[in-house]
Amino acid sequence: MPGPYGWLFDPRLCIECRACEAACKQWNSVPVGVNVRYRVVRIREYGSWPNVSTVPVSSACNHCENALCARACPVKAYVRRADGIVLLDSSRCVGCGFCDQFCPYGAPQMNRRSRRMEKCTMCADRIDRGLQPACASICPTGALTWGEWEKIRDRGVASISGDPTPNTTRPRIRYVHAP
Amino acid sequence: MRSTRRDWLRMAGGAGLASLQSRLLAGFEDWFQPATTAPDEQVLITACGICDSACGIRATVKDGVVRFLEGLPDDFQGQGKLCGKGAAGAGFLYDPDRLKYPMKRTNPRKGLNEDPGFIRISWQEALDTIADRIRSYRARHGPESLLFLTRPSPDVWVRFMRALGVVNRVDHRDECFQSDLVVQRYTIGGKPWGNDFENSRYILLFGFDMVTKTKLAHAHGVLAAKQRGAKVVLFNPEFNTTARLADEWYPIRPGADLAVALAMIHVIVNENLFNQEFVDRFTNFRQYEREIRDHFARYTPEWAEGLSDVPAEAVRRIAREFATQGPAIVPMHKKALAANYMNATQLAHAISILNILAGTIDRPGGRYFARTVSIPGVDAIYPPPAYPRVEGRRVDGTDKLPLVREVECGSFSTLADGMLNKYPGMIKFAFWNTYTLLGFPHPSQMEEALRRVEFTVVMDTLPTDTALLADIVLPSVTYLESSDLVPREYSARTPQVVVRQPVVPAMFETRSIGWVAIELGKRLVPEYFRTPTGEWISPAALLDERVKRAGLGSSFAEFRSVGIHTRQQPFTPRTTFATPSGKCQIYVPEFAARGYDPLPVWKPKAEQPSAEYPYYYLTFIPAIHRRNSTQNNPILHEIMPTNAAIISRTLAHRLGIREGQMVRIRSRMGAIELPAHLSETLRPDCVMVAHGFGHRTRMLSLAGGQGVRDGDVIPSRAIEEYVAAGNFGGAGCIMDAVVNIEPL
Repeated sequence: MPGPYGWLFDPRLCIECRACEAACKQWNSVPVGVNVRYRVVRIREYGSWPNVSTVPVSSACNHCENALCARACPVKAYVRRADGIVLLDSSRCVGCGFCDQFCPYGAPQMNRRSRRMEKCTMCADRIDRGLQPACASICPTGALTWGEWEKIRDRGVASISGDPTPNTTRPRIRYVHAP
Repeated sequence: MRSTRRDWLRMAGGAGLASLQSRLLAGFEDWFQPATTAPDEQVLITACGICDSACGIRATVKDGVVRFLEGLPDDFQGQGKLCGKGAAGAGFLYDPDRLKYPMKRTNPRKGLNEDPGFIRISWQEALDTIADRIRSYRARHGPESLLFLTRPSPDVWVRFMRALGVVNRVDHRDECFQSDLVVQRYTIGGKPWGNDFENSRYILLFGFDMVTKTKLAHAHGVLAAKQRGAKVVLFNPEFNTTARLADEWYPIRPGADLAVALAMIHVIVNENLFNQEFVDRFTNFRQYEREIRDHFARYTPEWAEGLSDVPAEAVRRIAREFATQGPAIVPMHKKALAANYMNATQLAHAISILNILAGTIDRPGGRYFARTVSIPGVDAIYPPPAYPRVEGRRVDGTDKLPLVREVECGSFSTLADGMLNKYPGMIKFAFWNTYTLLGFPHPSQMEEALRRVEFTVVMDTLPTDTALLADIVLPSVTYLESSDLVPREYSARTPQVVVRQPVVPAMFETRSIGWVAIELGKRLVPEYFRTPTGEWISPAALLDERVKRAGLGSSFAEFRSVGIHTRQQPFTPRTTFATPSGKCQIYVPEFAARGYDPLPVWKPKAEQPSAEYPYYYLTFIPAIHRRNSTQNNPILHEIMPTNAAIISRTLAHRLGIREGQMVRIRSRMGAIELPAHLSETLRPDCVMVAHGFGHRTRMLSLAGGQGVRDGDVIPSRAIEEYVAAGNFGGAGCIMDAVVNIEPL
């Protein structure tokens, strides 16, 4: 399969329904109650009453071109597939948490029960079957989409207000019509 | 369908993959619909059952376990997508806390802090016991001693209640759309469930977080309209998701929506901006023109500004735009946790008039009557013997609201008052299906009322707080284990039906409410539960008959393999309306004949801020939860486990409240204590708490003990208050509360 792939998010279309979060949990059987959420929707608030605005952001692992998580890992538990997807082999993880310290997006998370890190796989198993990642496939409004990075890269900006700088990691996400 | 796609992939080979990738690509005019299925997986079509949008589902089942739920592409309502609740649906099926078999209580003391001492019994024993109880209470105290709180109520269940002569049948609609139902029966001849947002150019919303907190069907419609350039205007005390997507948002004072709606009618009538052709041909405007003009003359935008904080010039301009830049629509599917105040019946009338003046009733871009496939009910298939006359007193007092009774509705908000104060001891037997105490204003009063009922049956999927008070609990199937035919109602310009089928066999000893109706019916009113050939009515045969008579196929088994049926037919707008005059009635003479206001009049909401209770109390349904029924779903629980008091930063600063600090919110009814969450999105004279939390029972291992009940500070009502306030549609006043806030 070609690649790399990336995310495209349009906050204006997001209705904050959390389908992306729920579908991610369901498809990936992400355990609940152990503090691991591969994808999370957060609402950012700007301004003051009554001149207020909100921006919802659905975020997961951005499968960065320069994946600091992988570089930080002392036991080489991270692998990058040929299509650019950054995977974490939890069975090799020793739970040191370095990856979490280096990832500016909070993508690798400690499973409280297993004491190992876990992370979004971009639903690599679905992609291998010709399916979209669960989150993008279920998004009711098309606010979150997924596709070939070549075609996403120029469709928006790499960060919006409140995000870490994308310059080091070069995340594979773009925001359309960012405020 | 699924094999086609695999074959195509195989045939297309390498060259095809490139084009497949371009389709995979975000873009997104033509969204890629996943359609490949692994050999060991099975895909079944069904309909979601969390909310009434009932979006079509493709359920992937692997080794007999639901693996994934996603949208059904051709479905009008979900449009191939699901919301967060729908996507998490398997969590309801596999909830380890589920009720698994019938149980009876052994501890006679009832209360939320009492262990009921439930022990397992057989269905046979459960049904025999329930039937004996019903039989004896009915014989000794009459049908009025039986209380049924059941919804959904399939037709066999309705037959069961009617055969018993049940008078006290109550459901939650008063907290939802009941006033709308009552009013529109007389203004336009029924409630139009459809909103043709796609063709609308102007969408006006009163206190309605349409986009996210209600149905996916509505969200799709509003977003499609936006993309086609429609204007969206929202009046709401909170800057919510819909406000973010709207072109204009006005932080209206709670309870003043009616003032703005009346002033808009004033402008449209005064300046003759209404849709002349529609109004002249299809309404009674000309017949009552003088009354109408005189009546609305007093409701000027300047007057409305003083009550609502919406600037007069904005009201005037929006009224003009609404009337002239149409097709325009004011949707009002439900006022639940929107503008549900004591004056909401008047608001329903005013909103109905705005839609009539826009000339979009059953017209493109307006509210329309759903075009549905006619699916015959049990009474059409197996005509019943004559039903007994319904006699007896209404425990919720709604015999004083005859128009509410006409639509067979009741009142949650006045039920506890009736059970405890008006008719103490009258209700001997209660049957609850899916409702919980949390659905009532002032739930502790309802708890007290229920404790005094001699015998209570609760049927549910989960051991709720209500189940704690039950003498017998019955385990219910979830929607993923049910069979039904689900017509589209919210997006149905042409008829469509989606199947609901068990995607896995019913787990444990769970049964459907329809099955229980038939089993109890056999024991109590057998003459109503036989077919003309003398056999017992069977759910399966009934379903087959429905499928056949609706023209969906030769049997349910056949239709379930197809899953969806769409009937293409042109949309022909109505020219006569099912009102007494056959026209849309702006002025309703039938209201006048009953002593109600024939035209909507300004009335304030019931509770006004005072020195003791200076703040408005608002409540809302978060997008990720459905009423009080989803908090124990593991995925949804993790996304939103509890509630907080949302308070404006300005107010919090004044009161010395920090983020996360515990606060006490107190009304004349009671108090709740919960952490504060500070936000700039809410009026500084309001506090807002999410509904659905505060389950007490520890039998709900996730939801139990989490958060507080928003209803603990919402006043329950006496029916006399409704009568005095002209709330003849019986709006449940869920948002009508004022409170004090103190930091702890």
